Amino acid sequence: MKHKLGFSGWFYLLPTLILIGIFSIWPVFQSITYTMFDYKLNDQQKAGLYVNDRFNTDLFNETTLYVGMFLEEELASVSEQADKDLIRDTLTNLKESAAPYASQEGIIKLSSSEAKGIQALYTTTKKTIDTLSQKYTLTHAENLPLLVEDINNSMIPSNFIGLKAYKEVLSDERMHIALWNTILFTLVSVSIELVLGLGLAMILNKAMVGKGIVRTTSLIPWAIPTAVAALMWSYLYDGSSGIVAHFFENVGLISQSQDLLLSGSGAMVSTIIADVWKTTPYMALLLLAGLQNIPKALYEAAAIDGASRIKSFFQVTLPLLKSSILVALLFRTLDAFRVFDLIYVLTGGGPGGATETMSIYAYKLMFGQTNFGYGSVIVMVMFVCVALIAIIFVRLLGTNLLDRN
Amino acid sequence: MKATKKRRWIIFAAFVIVYLFIMIFPFLWIFITSFKTSGEIFGTGAFRAIPEDPTFGNYVTVLFEKGILKAIANSFIVATTTTIYVIIVATLCAYAISRFRFRGKSILLGIILAVSMFPQMIITGPVYNLFYKLDLLNSYAVVLPYSTITLPMGVWILVTHFNQIPLALEESAEIDGATRFQTLYKIVFPLAAPGVFTTAIITFIAAWNEFLLTITLNTNAAYHTVPVAISFLRTQFSILWGEVAAATAIVTIPTLIIVLIFQKQIISGLTTGGVKE
Repeated sequence: MKHKLGFSGWFYLLPTLILIGIFSIWPVFQSITYTMFDYKLNDQQKAGLYVNDRFNTDLFNETTLYVGMFLEEELASVSEQADKDLIRDTLTNLKESAAPYASQEGIIKLSSSEAKGIQALYTTTKKTIDTLSQKYTLTHAENLPLLVEDINNSMIPSNFIGLKAYKEVLSDERMHIALWNTILFTLVSVSIELVLGLGLAMILNKAMVGKGIVRTTSLIPWAIPTAVAALMWSYLYDGSSGIVAHFFENVGLISQSQDLLLSGSGAMVSTIIADVWKTTPYMALLLLAGLQNIPKALYEAAAIDGASRIKSFFQVTLPLLKSSILVALLFRTLDAFRVFDLIYVLTGGGPGGATETMSIYAYKLMFGQTNFGYGSVIVMVMFVCVALIAIIFVRLLGTNLLDRN
Repeated sequence: MKATKKRRWIIFAAFVIVYLFIMIFPFLWIFITSFKTSGEIFGTGAFRAIPEDPTFGNYVTVLFEKGILKAIANSFIVATTTTIYVIIVATLCAYAISRFRFRGKSILLGIILAVSMFPQMIITGPVYNLFYKLDLLNSYAVVLPYSTITLPMGVWILVTHFNQIPLALEESAEIDGATRFQTLYKIVFPLAAPGVFTTAIITFIAAWNEFLLTITLNTNAAYHTVPVAISFLRTQFSILWGEVAAATAIVTIPTLIIVLIFQKQIISGLTTGGVKE
């Protein structure tokens, strides 16, 4: 008989809910928000999520101050009275328009009439300077036109772009290549791991010699950090000192040991081999646990009925191992699809993007170019793919993944 | 019959030897290389099995100049902290899931399962901004977002373990007047200790191996953990393989010790994740 969880009982769940809420659920929604903005940390006008137009008062106040000072100095280089008046008018206009913002700081919201006022100020001031510089040689001929542009730049247009980035991603060639690389890497490495892992598990299940040492040894590649394994393999693959590259050259798989990491297909094969080395033992251990749950009596019965070894494998082992295989495949497929550290350290996505997967592309966009907006779009595509993979496997598994609890 | 049995035994033994060789060879080769001089690695001695002029120079450089010891210390701090708080939080949560009826339980389990399937990349951007605002970049606070990787896994393994402990024991404790918390603390915890211990080791290894969050949130080398520090040994232009080999050999030792001592718990933790019914 289970108790109902009372109000005070939520104390048990609260820490988990808070942690998962802050560090798992909230970031997902935040990332979805990022995808709808042209959000770039290194661009002054795009370094925030601006649904409305904003106004950079610091830049505006500084600019109007200098424009005013420079224009006043130009009074000396202007000869006709009409032009002197023009400068005076512009100066008055500048002072009047700037007055309301003089005490403001940082980035503020602007009403549409205020925005129009700033826009008008920019146009008239620019016109004055253009007229003057055509007629006279101004002291600040170079600086004034540039400064005036900053009046315009202090207005930050909204960087909300809605779903436009998703449209962009559809025609992004680099994204297509990254998606294809991810799928290729996942399919090939997980299939090899399944076949080898199943074979290894069946051999381990027939307890003969060396079972203990094989099991211990199998855990080591799984337990060491992926980055360490990747660095180790990058040495083995190295063009001049790498013994595996040297071996491949000697047996004729590649014409030159340098080709292994410097050619696109070579680099892809290399990352797959490294991944297979690291995770096949893990796969085997998962499947071995499933195999040990199959009663021996079933095999004896099959043998009495005259089934061959091969037949009993397909008729007894595989059907009973189905859910173990699916669970192992689910976790491995998701891991392979998210692959980051292995490729980041081993090839960095190279050569020429030949091993660039979705995570690597997203990472480069977000933390290389500080383009959080478009980077998040790539992550969302990945998120959708992962969700699809999970749904397919959970369907295949039936409900027993959740039911057990 | 006897002959075929013998032949099968030989094939089996051969397979085991080949398998062990493939698994161990990369480590063995790294170990050999770590004692070679640069001249030998980049020269004709690159493929020699025994170093011509064995040296400890690589180890000295890596330990005293490249900050590998600092990285190992960081990894210990980060992995231990994560393990301690995740075990406490996950135990409370798993106990409630295993022992109580409440609304939204299947939703909670669904969320926990879904979070364990997320691409971690999805949280890096928002967490980076959050940490930037709170001034937590380049600090040990990185252990908090580690929860997204370790907590779902911990809850999942622990729920499975708790479900195997018979309810009757707790019911009799309750009849004897124990509070809910005392029941957890005095009855469930000792019985669940092996499961908790298993979860702790799996959590520790996961935190020790974490890469993406550390490299994005802690760009300062003073906070680099082992995997990240190791990845920085591979620079664009010059790769000093002797140092790389020595560093790899050093950082593999802690993992090796953990695996050798706790292999039973690790295997039990891995298999309760999904397979064992």
